[in-house]
Amino acid sequence: MQVWLGFAMLALVFWGITGVTQKLSTNAISSERSFLWFCWAMVALSAAVLVVARPHAGLGAAVMWSAIAGGALNGLGAWTSFRALESGGKASIVISMISLYPLLTVGLAVMFLGERLTGKQLIGAIVAIAAAILLSLEASPQEKVV
Amino acid sequence: MGEQIRERPLWLLWSVATIVLWGLWGLVSKIASNGVDVYVNQLLYTAGLAPLMLFVGWTVWKHSAKEDAKLRRTGIFWAFLTGILGGLGNLAFFQALVKGGEASIVAPVTALFPMVTVLLAVIFLKERLGRTQWVGLGLAFVAIYLLSA
Repeated sequence: MQVWLGFAMLALVFWGITGVTQKLSTNAISSERSFLWFCWAMVALSAAVLVVARPHAGLGAAVMWSAIAGGALNGLGAWTSFRALESGGKASIVISMISLYPLLTVGLAVMFLGERLTGKQLIGAIVAIAAAILLSLEASPQEKVV
Repeated sequence: MGEQIRERPLWLLWSVATIVLWGLWGLVSKIASNGVDVYVNQLLYTAGLAPLMLFVGWTVWKHSAKEDAKLRRTGIFWAFLTGILGGLGNLAFFQALVKGGEASIVAPVTALFPMVTVLLAVIFLKERLGRTQWVGLGLAFVAIYLLSA
């Protein structure tokens, strides 16, 4: 197995577990307070990371600002997704819709980073997005559950 | 009716904003992966999160509702654990990009994380799956196979 795929699967597992822990959290407290403590955990993790991190002065501005923007964009995205749900959007529709975000990443990566997908990978990307949407849909009362 | 018409664009707007923000996040993460290691990225990522944290912290403080202390402790515990696991997921996601994974492949693979949530919910929360979710689970495995080809 390719090394990058192993790490991608690891991310998938960690984020998958957060789907359960986040639900357990918001069952007890508001989504804002939950998000705030999520951020505090990020700060704690970064403090732990400081032990092994070797920040150096020679970081390029584009790289540094991209990393900072990563945190801001991901955090803001989480916040806007909460707002979408609180603004009356049905969870099944909102979550299915926001599952489309990798499509934008694929498009931008092809346009700006010159990445190229093989035919198999392109089908894989489309199937992945379809899978993410189907997984996010809650079973209707009429639907047979297994 | 009028209220419905006014409300619809609002959730749609927030949903589209989410797609744009997370879609861009995949792109900037790949750009960052060409110059920083996974640990420095985590530090900078948290720095990027700080302004939003201040805003949300102010909102929570201003609208602080009276919550049951025990319930609050439980909620905070799970939220904190979510943050730690989410952060570890971020580290792995970034490492996948550093190790040569392309943003156009890593983003769709990692977006399949609901498959793990669904499996855990079945095992630990005793939730039951509908046919659509079983189909989604099957498609997720097919997608991983195709994307890793």
